[in-house]
Amino acid sequence: MVNKKQVTKKFVFLAVLILLSAGLYIYARVFAKAFDAGIALTYPVAVRILGRSASSLLGMAVSAALIAVVSLAFQTITENRVLTPSMLGFDSVFLATQSLLVYFAANIGFMARLFANPYCNFFVTTGIMLAISMLMYGLMLRKDKNHIVFLLLFGLILSSIVQSFTNYIEVLLDPQQFQQLKAVTTVSVTNMNERVIVLAAPSMVLLTFLFVRQSREFDVMLLGENHAKSLGVPYSRRVNSTLLLIAFGMAVTTALIGPLTFLGLLAVNIARELFKTYRHSILFFGSILMSVLFLVLGQGIVELLRYAAPVTVLIDLAGGAYMIILIMKEHRL
Amino acid sequence: MIELKQVSQAYGTQDILKNVSLKIKEKRITALVGANGAGKTTLLNVAANLIPAKSGQVLLDGRDICQMETIEIARKIAILKQTQHLSMRITVQELVAFGRYPHSKGRLKSADETKIREAIAYMDLENIKEKFIDELSGGQRQRAYIAMILAQDTRYVFLDEPLNNLDIKYSVEMMTILQKLVQELDKTVIIVLHDINFAAAFADEIVAMKGGEIIREGPAESIIDGETLKDVFDHEFHIIRVGERKVCVYFQPQPDREIKRSKDCFI
Repeated sequence: MVNKKQVTKKFVFLAVLILLSAGLYIYARVFAKAFDAGIALTYPVAVRILGRSASSLLGMAVSAALIAVVSLAFQTITENRVLTPSMLGFDSVFLATQSLLVYFAANIGFMARLFANPYCNFFVTTGIMLAISMLMYGLMLRKDKNHIVFLLLFGLILSSIVQSFTNYIEVLLDPQQFQQLKAVTTVSVTNMNERVIVLAAPSMVLLTFLFVRQSREFDVMLLGENHAKSLGVPYSRRVNSTLLLIAFGMAVTTALIGPLTFLGLLAVNIARELFKTYRHSILFFGSILMSVLFLVLGQGIVELLRYAAPVTVLIDLAGGAYMIILIMKEHRL
Repeated sequence: MIELKQVSQAYGTQDILKNVSLKIKEKRITALVGANGAGKTTLLNVAANLIPAKSGQVLLDGRDICQMETIEIARKIAILKQTQHLSMRITVQELVAFGRYPHSKGRLKSADETKIREAIAYMDLENIKEKFIDELSGGQRQRAYIAMILAQDTRYVFLDEPLNNLDIKYSVEMMTILQKLVQELDKTVIIVLHDINFAAAFADEIVAMKGGEIIREGPAESIIDGETLKDVFDHEFHIIRVGERKVCVYFQPQPDREIKRSKDCFI
């Protein structure tokens, strides 16, 4: 049985760690920036840097939280603990959609405006991603969801096909369009598409709310499809609606911060180990805290080391190793 | 009251059920028997609304089951399929608590706690209720799942080959428990069985299927009969009486000589 006091203690502990990492991040940014730029750290300079750091922090927190809830929900509906949507090539689908948009925008006038407006672009992209991911699920995921190796292979092939496709489209673009495309697709933790935050933050809150409200149903779904149906969960309907929300969440976070392949995997599984429970009501929040902690701490360290390596490299290194351990443990390879 | 009316089901172009009609007798154990691919499991799945029927109707208390909310069905029918690997680590008690989901939606009240305690006691799981499911033996695990179904507190209990992977002792124990459910708790049990002898010994009613159709149904006594079974299984049966029950012998004991000769042929 779950000890409520202990859970709260762990939540508080994680929150304190996040605050500390945020402190580290801001410290690293303010001092490193001022020092590197060779300007004296006067009050207005500090305020400007602080303002920028705060919005970066918000962006990181929003994306990390989104990745966490989406990954946990995805693992529950696909009944596995190893795969996350990013590992199945969802972010490459996002890039492909963007390049297609730019390509067609060249020929049709109103499309150009559509692409240039970050909000319109966001909605169009999200819509297309929803369609593509539903198709992908319908064709592949539903049949063989317990076959991890097969799915990994599928993800690998999907991302490389989509990437080659994106490359092909990029060749067709003229230099100006190419610039346009790169401005949108080369987002990363240090180069966020900050205008999207206004959309992303409310989406994150909404998505988290919707998922957490269904926690008890997700718990039952862990028993497997047949048991869940027998216990009265409208399984297929629930899987479909969850998939829609997942595709939406992935679109938002990829637009905001770019691909972060292993963050979800790390956050969700370490939250599972830490809280030792299957209850989604706890795991959703645990994963969010864990995910935010990893990203902010990682970025803080990176800034402190003067960008020796981007944070994605750190996370992918840890996450990739962890995934191999997970696969070996679960499948006794 | 569960009634199937002209139910058909097909996978691709292959018909699995062909216009099956069946009224399930209340407060009895009904065994579905038949060869592999006869459509027993599909019939069970359709009757419990795990998969929708291609055509025809399943009536639960006079209402079309497709029109009902899944949660409403789950308060009346519990179905236990072959247990699969669980992707989480939970204790017996937590598993049994899941059985209350259709009633409590996960928020357990004291009435739910009582039902859970009763189910655990009834299945004699009290001394292992804190153990994790993956630490249990096959028989104990099966009992834990039955306890979950008991906690679900439904009138109908459907089981799909519950004796798979159980050794003789646990199989008999399982069937005895099911008999108790019918006699003491007034449940209606529908069970898919592979071994005709378990059906002969424990079932009240037998529904024999072949090629997606019900070819015989009736009290167990009347179905366990050499001619009928030959029809159902395409195989010779010898029926022997042991006490009050009938036993089917379905292998041909060969004299030693013949075995030797066939071995010689091989060499």
